[in-house]
Amino acid sequence: MTSGEKSDAEIVCLVDDDLSVLKSIERLLKSDGLSVRAFNKPKEFLSHVQTHTVPVVILDIWMEEMSGLELQARLSGLSPDTRVIIITGRDDPGAKLTALQKGVTAFFTKPFDDDQFLKAVRSALAMHPTE
Amino acid sequence: MSQANKVAKGQRETEEPFYAGQTWILEMVAANAPLPEILTNLVLLMEAQEEGMLCSILVLGSDGMRVRHGAAPSLPEAYVKAVNGASIGPRNGSCGTAMFLKRPVVVTDVLTDPLWADYRHLAEICGLRACWSTPIFSAQGDVLGSFAMYRQEPRGPNAEETHLTQVATHIAGIAIERQRVQETLRERDARINLAAESADLAFWVIYPEQNTAWMSDKGRVMYGFDSNLPLNRDRICARVHPDERAAVHAAFDRACASHGLFESEHRLVLPYGKTRWVIVRGRCLVDEHGHLLELIGVTIDVSAQKQAELQLQIQREEMSHLNRVALMGEMTASVAHELNQPLTAIANNASAARRFLERGNIDPKLLQQLLQDMVADSQRAGEVIRGIRALVQKDKTVVRTVLNLNSVIADTLRLVSSDIALRESVVVTEMDHSLPQVEAVPVQIQQVLLNLIMNALDAVEARPPAERRIIISTRSLNGESAEVSVRDFGIGLPKDRPDKVFDHFFSTKQTGMGMGLTIVRSIIETHGGKISAENAPDGGARFFFHLPATRGDSKSQAA
Repeated sequence: MTSGEKSDAEIVCLVDDDLSVLKSIERLLKSDGLSVRAFNKPKEFLSHVQTHTVPVVILDIWMEEMSGLELQARLSGLSPDTRVIIITGRDDPGAKLTALQKGVTAFFTKPFDDDQFLKAVRSALAMHPTE
Repeated sequence: MSQANKVAKGQRETEEPFYAGQTWILEMVAANAPLPEILTNLVLLMEAQEEGMLCSILVLGSDGMRVRHGAAPSLPEAYVKAVNGASIGPRNGSCGTAMFLKRPVVVTDVLTDPLWADYRHLAEICGLRACWSTPIFSAQGDVLGSFAMYRQEPRGPNAEETHLTQVATHIAGIAIERQRVQETLRERDARINLAAESADLAFWVIYPEQNTAWMSDKGRVMYGFDSNLPLNRDRICARVHPDERAAVHAAFDRACASHGLFESEHRLVLPYGKTRWVIVRGRCLVDEHGHLLELIGVTIDVSAQKQAELQLQIQREEMSHLNRVALMGEMTASVAHELNQPLTAIANNASAARRFLERGNIDPKLLQQLLQDMVADSQRAGEVIRGIRALVQKDKTVVRTVLNLNSVIADTLRLVSSDIALRESVVVTEMDHSLPQVEAVPVQIQQVLLNLIMNALDAVEARPPAERRIIISTRSLNGESAEVSVRDFGIGLPKDRPDKVFDHFFSTKQTGMGMGLTIVRSIIETHGGKISAENAPDGGARFFFHLPATRGDSKSQAA
């Protein structure tokens, strides 16, 4: 979507059905020099992951089409190596616990601290086994 | 009595004084002199016409059974007392019998006549021998009393005496009947006044032709008019509150034009600024040619009821407001989410801009877009806050607008979407796209829906997440009203009386005031609709309400 010269293994994916939040996170990641592929619909991301390597995906929990946790569950079958960072607009301890149990790398409640967030994304990216 | 003496003494010589006496007595009747005075003068006039003649008048009581003393100035007091209160009958002296038989009774000798058996000793003491009694009739032929002549020698009446009796009964009839009519009128007046005063009623009559008006004392107090101020329609209408004056004038003109009824509820503004709420009802009276004579009516002071009503209204609004605040408290997750989204976007965009600037490689176009988005998101956050304020604010303006309930449902669901998701519940909508539009206060309908949705969410809470289902459906009832149904799959309502849930303080929940559904019902009913609750056949509760379609264009556009 953005930089043709970057390989998929360097591109962070982002899924949020709120377009303005999606755009703002995409910009935040880019402002830190990261390459981003943004998806407004969970299903579009699911079809993308079947044909592309995804080192890190940032998922919103509460999406109308499919919840972030459900998406994570499907993803673990399709792409077990993908690191998952969850963001949520609600203070929801139950969802946080479930997410962490399912092995997400990080969990952020909106609005979040940009430095911590970018640090978490970079460390998740570093954890991904290079092909 | 002094006037009576003037005409009564020694005037037998010519007819002239007798006529003058009659005229005098009739004038007394016309002047509404007291009846005993009139009758006494009449008796004295008659007695003056013949030497040695005594006369008496008895008045039949309103029960038609017993006689009362009328006048007998020359008869001994013992006799008068004995007769007063006696009943009439076929053998009750001359007078009692005459009244009973409705014809003259001539007793030539009271000492031998069987009719006098009971009064004989009395007659003896008084020295009375003959008594001729004639009933006094009203114009309608009812017996009003009797006029009697007494002689101390046993004999019957001569022609002159019979003539005098005719004159006497005629005049006495007029006097007694007039007094009866006045008594009836006085009684009726007293009754009406009593009723009027206890009902806080004012009477008034407006004569449009003459531009004058009359008002009862109570009415003058109610309208704040001095007791001697001449009244007319404009003076009365000037008391009407300026906001309502035009409407009252119009209603009045309509009634006058159609010779129909006048009815209005409005405020009066009295001198010194006091305000009264009144209900006014009037009707036109027309003559036999259909010409408007007067407008007659009553004014009822309903200030106290109105005050109580307003108080109740304020309390209802208070409760309704508290309910909305409580709902807002239950919707915190949704509210937080709605605000978090734009705030997150703003924060991220700002952070991104800072980073781009630090790196010194920002595309001015990107920066512009980014700033534009921040403005848009700030506005979005503002909208959310406005929405919350609208819901939590006290009703300042309750303006009805034409609404499509499908859209209101969709908006409301968006408002609570986070809470629905957070409670792992699903709301399914089944909208009838031909739903007629309704006229309603948007915030109040939203409040109704929020209450029903929050209740439904509570109802399904105990079920496993997969079964936490709520169905909201709409349908058109013959295009005449729009029905909304909120159905859950929870434990259902009290079996015996599902409608009990609308009662005050009825609650099955630990939290909540038990006011929500009462307020819901009051809102729906204020909008001319109806709400019911029932247990769905396959489990769970179903609440459904309908609101009347707006007149005119009733079909809504597809939602």
